[in-house]
Amino acid sequence: MWTDNLNSKYLFFTGKGGVGKTSLACAAAIHLASEATPVLLVSTDPASNLDEVLGRSLGASPVEIEGVKGLFAANLDPAAAALTYRERAVAPYRGLLPDAAIRSMEEQFSGSCTLEIAAFDEFTTLLGGTETAARYAHVVFDTAPTGHTLRLLALPAAWTGFIDTNTSGMSCLGPLAALKQQEALYRSSLTALRDEARTTIVLVARADAASLQEAARASLELGALGICNQHLVVNGLVERISTTDQVATALQNRCSVALAHLPDALRDLPISTVHLMSNPLVGLAALQSLKTPDAVSLSPVTVGVLPEVPISLDPLIDNLLRCNHGVIMTMGKGGVGKTTVAVKIAESLARTGAPVLLTTTDPAGRGTSLLNNELNNLTIERIDPTVEVQKYRDEVLAASSGRIDEHGLALLEEDLRSPCTEEIAVFRAFATAVARGNDHYVVIDTAPTGHTILLMDAAEAYHREVLRTQSEMPESVRQLLPRLRDPEYTRVILVTLPEPTPVHEAKELHDDLQRAGISSCAWVVNQSFLASGTREPLLLRKASLEGRWIDEVLQVSPLTVVLPWSEGNLH
Amino acid sequence: MSKLKVYDPAMCCSTGVCGPQVDMTLVGFAADLDWLKRQGVEVERYNLSQQPAAFVANSVVSEEVRRDINVLPILLVDDEIVCRGRYPLRTELADLFSIKDEGRPGLLRVIPQTGD
Repeated sequence: MWTDNLNSKYLFFTGKGGVGKTSLACAAAIHLASEATPVLLVSTDPASNLDEVLGRSLGASPVEIEGVKGLFAANLDPAAAALTYRERAVAPYRGLLPDAAIRSMEEQFSGSCTLEIAAFDEFTTLLGGTETAARYAHVVFDTAPTGHTLRLLALPAAWTGFIDTNTSGMSCLGPLAALKQQEALYRSSLTALRDEARTTIVLVARADAASLQEAARASLELGALGICNQHLVVNGLVERISTTDQVATALQNRCSVALAHLPDALRDLPISTVHLMSNPLVGLAALQSLKTPDAVSLSPVTVGVLPEVPISLDPLIDNLLRCNHGVIMTMGKGGVGKTTVAVKIAESLARTGAPVLLTTTDPAGRGTSLLNNELNNLTIERIDPTVEVQKYRDEVLAASSGRIDEHGLALLEEDLRSPCTEEIAVFRAFATAVARGNDHYVVIDTAPTGHTILLMDAAEAYHREVLRTQSEMPESVRQLLPRLRDPEYTRVILVTLPEPTPVHEAKELHDDLQRAGISSCAWVVNQSFLASGTREPLLLRKASLEGRWIDEVLQVSPLTVVLPWSEGNLH
Repeated sequence: MSKLKVYDPAMCCSTGVCGPQVDMTLVGFAADLDWLKRQGVEVERYNLSQQPAAFVANSVVSEEVRRDINVLPILLVDDEIVCRGRYPLRTELADLFSIKDEGRPGLLRVIPQTGD
């Protein structure tokens, strides 16, 4: 069983988007609940799909899952947590302070800091609080995609350090006095994470090089934070299929090559494997079936029919070429191939001779090394949070020197160490990239869904800020939201796999964007086995389930293209 | 020595570094308050979004705020308003507490910065 040895008090599932963290976390929690109860399953992903996988609607308070005795589940939605946090702070003063004061308070609680603080607050209460520890036999965290997960996990370390060194008495994290009361909680969170007897980090990867590299990166980063009890699960493994089918052979080769070349960081970890399933791991029945290997030969194979859609990017590229500049953003759930699609689009546009800038805001920073760039007019850039923060700090300190004395400068340097600085720095870099769409094609391979939504939210919050103050605002920031809202300037392309969760998440994203006044111009259904021409029974069975999800896309999309499964696809 | 109380408008934080552009007025004022503390003046600072209780508790401040929210920031010395609607310069702070500024030049936000 792949869950053998996964029986710590706290289990964290982490990995690149789309590797199956949520499904495996659910399956592990179900398994644990059969041995010791109660078990708590928590999602901290802003774009959680725990509801869909479990087939239950979940909230911030744990509810028992019908059908699995002793299993409780909760969704820590940062946006909802922020609202609760805001209400807790503002409500007592309604009636005591004038409405204008209340409104101005509420406005201050709608920024990204509040989201971060509120999510962090809930996270530490679960991890560092004695109540949860006493009540549950196991707590399983289905964490957010990697970049966000690591930030979340790094927070207890970063913030504990921040409290230690901030001496000015003011802080971005609210009054320091209140934080001091929380300090014990933060410390015990970090201690729990580092305690090998209590915590296991489950690194989930697919059997492909990119996803294993990501797991290796996470492993090293966590190791550096003193979190060393790690376990690797390779999900979706295809092996020992005897076939002449090209697609199945390629898939099988990719798996065996990837496993033979495990990154060094992963070599010494305990490893378990989960085989590729034909059915999506959604719903309790499917999750419980993870205990047994997929019964490939049981039922007869029905061959699916591909809906009438183009199976190349060409119609989309033609559409983009109607305008000779602007921003093209590929968006969707983690792991659907936003990078691959962005790279292909950038290359196709550059081949027409137009100046193209390919840029990524993905915190994990993959992708830009994957392109063999032979085109002079194609520039590739990465928005690296560490670099952006450094640039921003240098810029601010340079602008301030001569205007404040050395004590003031020291104070400022300290304030710039606040966790919000990264958010601001990355946001400004994003705004700068978008601004370059004035005279270029700028192809932006955005971060996974949850982070993207936060970014958009930030755009909205900053937009309000701009309208209020108008002072000292970079032009790129002032213009950001109007540019994103201009369908002639910004073309949003939603990328999905022909599977339920990615399609549903992309639809939610589509709705969120529309609420923010941003429309999407096309959908790309990536990695289709149905379009690949495979005849291998397991893959055919997977393929036969795709038509339904492609049809669902066709109902909402103005322009849809399907790309066949291909070996070289990057997540 | 007297005590200075600063009542800020609702802000994410009073450092000035939060937001799409650093607010040099806030950065400069934080440096000035730091300087004032080093001269032995006791300073208390309240942010409407984080310490609303302090605004309610002080009758002078709550009266002012009730009339017009834009009166913030308010600075009090011994419960008497010494400055409202703006942040004072370091020389003004020095005068309030009869401190001789050692005259470090250009300490204050004298150059209005334009956006890039």
